[in-house]
Amino acid sequence: MAKDASSGTTSLVSRPVVVEGEISGEENLHVDGRVKGVIRLSGDLFVGASGVVEAEVDARSIVIQGAVTGKVLARRQLEVQPSGRFNGEATAASYEIRQGAVFEGVSRMLGSKPQAEKPAEPADPSPQK
Amino acid sequence: MGMFAKEKPETATPGSARSDSDTAFFGAKLSIKGKVTGSGNLIVMGKLEGEVDLAGELVVAPTAVLNGEFRAVTLAVSGNVTGTLIVREKIHLEKSAVVSGRMATPRISMVDGATFNGEIEMKKPADDTPSKRSDKK
Repeated sequence: MAKDASSGTTSLVSRPVVVEGEISGEENLHVDGRVKGVIRLSGDLFVGASGVVEAEVDARSIVIQGAVTGKVLARRQLEVQPSGRFNGEATAASYEIRQGAVFEGVSRMLGSKPQAEKPAEPADPSPQK
Repeated sequence: MGMFAKEKPETATPGSARSDSDTAFFGAKLSIKGKVTGSGNLIVMGKLEGEVDLAGELVVAPTAVLNGEFRAVTLAVSGNVTGTLIVREKIHLEKSAVVSGRMATPRISMVDGATFNGEIEMKKPADDTPSKRSDKK
């Protein structure tokens, strides 16, 4: 089975189309319409200027020209272009946020350990004076 | 006239897919669960489970597997569809089509070799859509 989506096709959610639910697969996806729900791709997600995504996203790279809200994982890169707006929680291996773009929320680097999971050293109640 | 076909300049707009952006396309390796609504045309090559309500043409490609309830203005099937098909104008089943379930449409055509198991309900569009509400969705 070919697992490489880079050479694969790009599916399109066109401008007058709304998808509510789960989209998954080994493809790239271009969204000019609206998607609400879950997106899981082995390829890239491209959200065009008219695109609106309210979803939990897991993709290789994510390019945002429109609006994205939700919890997003970009295994390679998250790029927010000047017209793009992101609201939510992002995890990515690298970020590119252009001038003019809106990025509101939390960003984490993929690979870095989340602070909360740092093995808590037993809180030593003894005062260190 | 043909010589002017290329006249439209390709400006720096990154959304070069805009010209055919009314046709949505779900590739063979894409799987969708849920509801798809809107206008324009939709070509499905992969899996789709759920509901489609489209003010346009739905094209089910040979590789496609659909399950659920589908509403469209016209429907062309070359793939596999199970469920309910409610179509306002016409349904066409290609040779490779495998359909089971219920179809409601004023017009239908099937190519020799197409498979259909189920029920067909045919109404004249006039019965269903009085002229007053022909514009209504």
